Amino acid sequence: MPNVRVTINGVEAAVPANMTVLEAAQAAGIEIPTLCDHPAIEPIGACRICLVEIEKQRTLQPACTFPVFEGMVAHTHSEKAVEARRFILDLLFSERNHFCMFCQMSESCTLQDLAYEYELDHWKFHRPMPKFSVDASREYFVMDHNRCILCRRCIRICDELVGNGTLGLKNRGADSMVTADMDVPFGESSCISCGSCLQVCPTGALADRASAYMGATAEIDRIKTRCMACPVGCGTELIVRENRVIRVEGDWDAEPNHGLLCEIGRFVPLHEHRDRVREPMVRSNGEWNAVEMDEALAMVNEKLREAGDDVATIVSGFVTVEEGTLLAQSPGAKYLMHPIASEQSSATQADLDVADLFVVVNTDLTDDFQVAGMFIKRGVRQRGARLLLISDAAEGDAPEGDAADGMSEWAMRRLGTAEANEAVAIAGGAQMPVFVAGPEGAKLATELAGQVANAKALIFTPGGNSRGLYEAGFQQAFEGQDAAVYHVVAGEISRIAPELLEQLKQAGTVIVTTSYRQPWDEVADLILPMPTTFEKAGTTVNADGMVCEVVAGVETRAIPFNEMFNSLAALAQ
Amino acid sequence: MAKITLSTDWLDVCSGCHMSLLDMDELLIEILEHVQLLSSPITDLKHPPESGVDVGILTGAVSNDHQEEVARRMRDRCGILISMGDCAVFGGICTMRNFFDTEEVLSYAYTETDSTAPEQEVPRSPEIAKLYPTVKSVRDIVKVDYHLPGCPPPAHVIAYVLTELVAGREPKLTEDLLTYD
Ligand code: SF4
Ligand code: SF4
Ligand code: SF4
Ligand code: SF4
Ligand code: FES
Repeated sequence: MPNVRVTINGVEAAVPANMTVLEAAQAAGIEIPTLCDHPAIEPIGACRICLVEIEKQRTLQPACTFPVFEGMVAHTHSEKAVEARRFILDLLFSERNHFCMFCQMSESCTLQDLAYEYELDHWKFHRPMPKFSVDASREYFVMDHNRCILCRRCIRICDELVGNGTLGLKNRGADSMVTADMDVPFGESSCISCGSCLQVCPTGALADRASAYMGATAEIDRIKTRCMACPVGCGTELIVRENRVIRVEGDWDAEPNHGLLCEIGRFVPLHEHRDRVREPMVRSNGEWNAVEMDEALAMVNEKLREAGDDVATIVSGFVTVEEGTLLAQSPGAKYLMHPIASEQSSATQADLDVADLFVVVNTDLTDDFQVAGMFIKRGVRQRGARLLLISDAAEGDAPEGDAADGMSEWAMRRLGTAEANEAVAIAGGAQMPVFVAGPEGAKLATELAGQVANAKALIFTPGGNSRGLYEAGFQQAFEGQDAAVYHVVAGEISRIAPELLEQLKQAGTVIVTTSYRQPWDEVADLILPMPTTFEKAGTTVNADGMVCEVVAGVETRAIPFNEMFNSLAALAQ
Repeated sequence: MAKITLSTDWLDVCSGCHMSLLDMDELLIEILEHVQLLSSPITDLKHPPESGVDVGILTGAVSNDHQEEVARRMRDRCGILISMGDCAVFGGICTMRNFFDTEEVLSYAYTETDSTAPEQEVPRSPEIAKLYPTVKSVRDIVKVDYHLPGCPPPAHVIAYVLTELVAGREPKLTEDLLTYD
């Protein structure tokens, strides 16, 4: 891209010709306020707060959509521009109800920040104060239409990045309202509760139930870390106040998610109702009793000593590489709690944003690996890529529970596994087909991809750090193998296969190291505490083989895993 | 130097703004060396003198005909009018009732809340001020010279405004002095 020379507020710069005035100003270190614009989504120039004065232009121009040109001279904070911004703020405030003193977002609201910055001490215009509804039908966050400035960030992110297309606008002019599907309550809509719209809303229109009133911008810290709930491995930002995580957001700078998260990564950890394990517990005569750590470790040591090599260590994907490396030194067999695909990926998740054909085999990406599902959905919606679903059910409507059920709305076609070969013919005509599957579909997906010249396969093994744990020595899936003593290292895993619990119920001695008591108290004889992902540091390896850093956001009373494990190892000597 | 004269009054309020005024603590003594307080809801004299004052301060929103009268009287009798607190400036928390019909509001407040006595009726005496259908800000009724938002405005901001006026300067509420809640 050729450069053009521009002058902004007297600062000369050479910038690529395809930049907007806003981007050029930002590159020159000059800030222009924005409301409807967001770096992750396409600009639409709806709110006009970014108006700037550009010489030789008849009127003020919105910086977020206006392209730079050779010799452009712009003034971002001229008297005229500042006056226009005040006027726009006045109009925005006059439209609905912005009584900040009872708004959840006060001191965390971009609109309010701008009112302070532009020193608005009263409202100039008459306010009709129309009465809009509040939609509280969603579990995790509320929509108060009275605070909405119709910037459409929510609509655009749901469409452009999440690929869900749930949101739209109804009515016209001042009566416009954000609406879901064919105007149904949000809680009954196609919304998948990913919370991406919540994260980008610049006002209190979308407000998080868990963190509303819990801490304003100045009172919080942001800590970048990882979600360990699945192998997509999304980068997260923990919003922490007074050593408590009050909210989780997607990290805009992180691969592969770039700001997106799914319900499991964003909301589930903060709506956890299980009892936290803070100290070791022992079951005797059906009763659970807390015991001192020394005592508990002595008991564990005794059991392990008796069992010798007849021990099975079963780790969940919530175990970090470092924790796994320690555990790999213990005697006996090592198992992963999750099914393992024996096939290897030849694609990375980044390929999903360039592929023109997706073939998803026996996997429901609206349930597992959800953010990867969003990459596919947006490819279909935004780039015109095509999606083929292969599942056990034959062509026709996907029955509930079938792997193809969730994504069928985005699919051009559904094939039964018996007709899978047709996918090869279709993929042959594509530029860049990617076959995607979890363990159930991995074999077929790899086989099919092998028959198409330029095809790649993206294979997911469930469990956030399964790949890291595999490399650490956990190379077998647990499928009910016998052992005298089972040591389950669970972390905070909540999606647990019922068969696993059934098997452990029948087993001899079961020791579980876990952050939460349930459901392990049904099967364990002894429970040891374990920090959650929010509380520990380490590394994890995602489906792409990318090594990701897990950073502790809060301090915990729970003893660090390595300390506990080393004490146990010392006893064994 | 002659003292500047000041009157304050309240309209539809919780009285928190006047509490904030008192919260100036010892600064109050300093300010009163330059300011003569001629009337306020918390002194014996309640109304600004007919002869007028230099500065008038109104707190609270305008909810009924009586409050409108008080606001107009203050405007007539003061040189500079300051509208103080979110209710005076924006309508504030009082405007919550703007979303409901006035009769609905009255009957809820007087007959339906958990704390109303049985048989209680909405008082209808002609001596009682009449509620307006919607709550207004002071600025909707009379011309205002300075706006001082906040629920309530912090004492040091009130002190700043009065100090500037005493010194004959224009108070200017910059970002650090503004608060909307
Ligand atoms: S959305 Fe922002 S501007 Fe509107 S009331 Fe809430 S804090 Fe104030
Ligand atoms: S939560 Fe996600 S799916 Fe639901 S409306 Fe918001 S962006 Fe769309
Ligand atoms: S809900 Fe928020 S993001 Fe959506 S249009 Fe309204 S203000 Fe913008
Ligand atoms: S897709 Fe996986 S890694 Fe990303 S937020 Fe959801 S559960 Fe976490
Ligand atoms: S930020 Fe440019 S028009 Fe809204």
